[in-house]
Amino acid sequence: MIAGRPPAERYTGSSVRRTEDLRLLTGRGRYVADIQVPGLLHCAFNRSPHAHARVLRVQTDVARRAPGVVAVFDGWQMAKLASAAGGMMELMGETNLPSFSLLATDKVRLVGDPVAMVVAETRAIAEDAAELIEVEYEELPAVMTAAQARDGSLPPIFEDLGSNVLFGPDQKVFGEVDRVFAEADRIVKARIAQHRHQNVPMEGRAILATFDQATGELVAHAATQGVNTSRQIIAAQLGMPLEKVRVLAFDIGGSFGLKFGASREEVACCAASRELLRPVRWIEDRLENLTVSGQAREESFDVEAAVTNEGEILGMRVEMVIDSGAYPGFAPGIISTIQEMIPGPYRMRALSFTASGVITNKATYVAYRGPWASETFVRERLIDLVAAELGLDPFEVRLRNLAERGQPPLRMVTGPSLAGLTAKESLLRMGEIFNFEEFRRHQAAMRAQGRYLGVGVATYIEPAPGPRPETPPTELEWARASLGEDGVVSVFTAQMPHGQSHQTTMAQIAADQFGVDFEQVRVVVGDTDQVPEGFGTGGSRFASMAGGAALHVSRQLRSQVLELAAQILDVSPATIDIRAGEVVGDGVPDGRLPLSELVKLARAAAAEGRIPQGTETSLEASFGFDGGQGGWSGGTHCCVVEVDPETGRVRVDRYMVVEDCGEVINPAVVEGQIRGGVAQGIGAVLLERSAYDEWGQYLSSSFMDYLLPTTTDVPNIEIEHLQTIPLDQDVNFRGVGEGGMIVAPPTICNAIADAIAPSGAVVLEQHLPPTRILELMGIIPQPA
Amino acid sequence: MIPITLTVNGQLREGSVEGRVTLADFLRERLGLTGTHLGCEHGVCGACTVLLDGEPARSCLVLAVQAQDKEVTTVEGLSGSEPLSALQRAMRDNFSFQCGFCTPGFLIQAWALLKENPRPTEEEVRHALSGNLCRCTGYQSIVAGVLAASTRAPLESQQEGSL
Repeated sequence: MIAGRPPAERYTGSSVRRTEDLRLLTGRGRYVADIQVPGLLHCAFNRSPHAHARVLRVQTDVARRAPGVVAVFDGWQMAKLASAAGGMMELMGETNLPSFSLLATDKVRLVGDPVAMVVAETRAIAEDAAELIEVEYEELPAVMTAAQARDGSLPPIFEDLGSNVLFGPDQKVFGEVDRVFAEADRIVKARIAQHRHQNVPMEGRAILATFDQATGELVAHAATQGVNTSRQIIAAQLGMPLEKVRVLAFDIGGSFGLKFGASREEVACCAASRELLRPVRWIEDRLENLTVSGQAREESFDVEAAVTNEGEILGMRVEMVIDSGAYPGFAPGIISTIQEMIPGPYRMRALSFTASGVITNKATYVAYRGPWASETFVRERLIDLVAAELGLDPFEVRLRNLAERGQPPLRMVTGPSLAGLTAKESLLRMGEIFNFEEFRRHQAAMRAQGRYLGVGVATYIEPAPGPRPETPPTELEWARASLGEDGVVSVFTAQMPHGQSHQTTMAQIAADQFGVDFEQVRVVVGDTDQVPEGFGTGGSRFASMAGGAALHVSRQLRSQVLELAAQILDVSPATIDIRAGEVVGDGVPDGRLPLSELVKLARAAAAEGRIPQGTETSLEASFGFDGGQGGWSGGTHCCVVEVDPETGRVRVDRYMVVEDCGEVINPAVVEGQIRGGVAQGIGAVLLERSAYDEWGQYLSSSFMDYLLPTTTDVPNIEIEHLQTIPLDQDVNFRGVGEGGMIVAPPTICNAIADAIAPSGAVVLEQHLPPTRILELMGIIPQPA
Repeated sequence: MIPITLTVNGQLREGSVEGRVTLADFLRERLGLTGTHLGCEHGVCGACTVLLDGEPARSCLVLAVQAQDKEVTTVEGLSGSEPLSALQRAMRDNFSFQCGFCTPGFLIQAWALLKENPRPTEEEVRHALSGNLCRCTGYQSIVAGVLAASTRAPLESQQEGSL
């Protein structure tokens, strides 16, 4: 036996059942709304009915006097308690930030903007009292489109920025763009729109803040993707030292990018607790969630592709405008990823990318599962437009343009390495799984009967984390591990699972690497007093970054424990091993020593000074992982749809996935992530849109107006995993949470475009509800 | 305040409530049964579904006073004295859920379906669950879990007495 080498992997790679389920299936989960504490107060917000207005007067007297109301804060009062500066965007390094407050003072900037906060003995009393607040407004014209924001005719939403243009146009050029456009046989041009839609986790935002006067510490139970990030923002905005803020998170009802940091309402809730010296909770309701929690992905693209008559795509020119909504959000931060990823796994030689961002009176732009996804949508739709223009099959155009592993170019035109790329294999495999030729015959036969069937394909790669760049990332993902006197290995991570089953998958890795049963690993999350530094869950970071950290820290702890055991037992570390929670091997008394016994012996030996200097006795290890050699996630999706020309309804008949997410930790968990992402993509195309009218009234503020896909909208999704190309000696797990949502929308849109092409329809947008389908098909008139 | 008496998960419970208190709030806040979740409070998402005299009902749309003298079963009552009922075990085996927030509603709805139709087809399962929203899974795993439960012992023999 060789010390340091892990035993055969028993758990990694198999569908180990989730530890989370025992509590979640029995109603014993612990979401923020479930926490019961004595003396709890509840809050509710008075919110703006206008998209853009000056606040002239906020009358809170009547609300304040209502029985059961403990306090009412208007914007100015709240501004004395906490600031909106130091929020998520500042943390992310954004600089061009306007000044504003947690609750509106001088202005409101979107429908639902919080104006005043009521704290009361019950939620019902708080909500009633919020309606007793009278606010006088002077309405201002709402800025609702990028064109309005850019033409400068409407007043700036933030006076201190002076303009509704947030940034740009900023151009970046890769390769010889003019040259490839001069060489091209044709230039295919299109304006492609990506519509606004949103995360909609089943649980909205939520926080329970308790300020302890005796210790001066604020404890917040939050629904957050990262407790450390929430803590930093709460501390900064309340003006408290970091060590006086503790953030806890238990079960979280989904997020998909929404619940990062601490929002204005959440910080206001913390401020109220500190001011009132009582615990205060805010549970966002669905109206608030749909209206103001945040929305994503409103972008437009003017694209040109330089192509040859054989279908080779030489390069692209892209001009993008992103609608950031009202308050500072994720829009500026996502541009660089969209720009970098837009060539995808294709060989194109040149790219000009120009981006600008605008501010409008809509909800703030937030991250939503694959926040940069519009690059894949635009490219994959454009490839189908190129195919149509040249009379080629879209599958064939992809095949001709996909980069091949080991063949030049070895890098995307934007820089990242294409090492380990399996995109071409994924497309070719899809061609084996689905018989395109047979489908084309069937499609033609059906068309002759008046039926509209279509097939769509899209291929993508996702930096999850991507092959190791020349300058490795400076932000490491940390894991800490310890062996307790109960013989349990605890792994501490800053990742904050909210549906991804991290407590299961991380335990699988640690159990294998350390040499204990799965049940003998505890994964500790959601407590700033316990977890290591790190921003939390997002960017498909878990599998490779946190999974890798868990792998290495477990190995390190194992080596330390074996070293220590060897000292105590006076044997060579090379002759002993850890298996199934016991130290085994030559020289071990009775041949086996349970870890809990070893811990006792080690403590005694250390106390008696029997452990030589230089041997680690803490039974704790810490590891910061830089991602190793990394690698791409990616694959090809394909779907078959039928469009009903009477109703415009689209039915997804078949959906297939060929994907590579590296070494799979838990197949059932991975497939759940893929299916969930695809379902959100189906929703994005067929159902979901965050709609405003021209005055900025929000039109999708209930589940009757904002439609989520149901059991009858999402088909069974067939998944095949490709054999991955390992790039790292140890860690080849890759992130998989976002891919489904990145590539499903273009896959479905391409299928719909294929189905309705005989009507002459050209699809240049992502949202295709029945009315829009009928408009595109010329069955009902287009809107004026 | 209005006095009410009802049976919840087999136990007689009494309380007095304002007329406007929903059954969901009564269960969660007065009885501490926080397994029933509130996802929309306007009757669409189905997370708050409970059995009311054996029929699935949205507890956010029912007033507590309307449950007077009725029998209510919540997710906490599905497994009786076992750690998990056969339905819950099948859902676990099929990785049916992710974040767990919609879970109570799906379990109750599926329970009601299997009581009425112990051997549903996939289409029948999808139809029966079409009024419940899940944002995480894409539903395939949930449908698979219900179908797997239906091929096991019938619900009656699994957990008699827990309803």
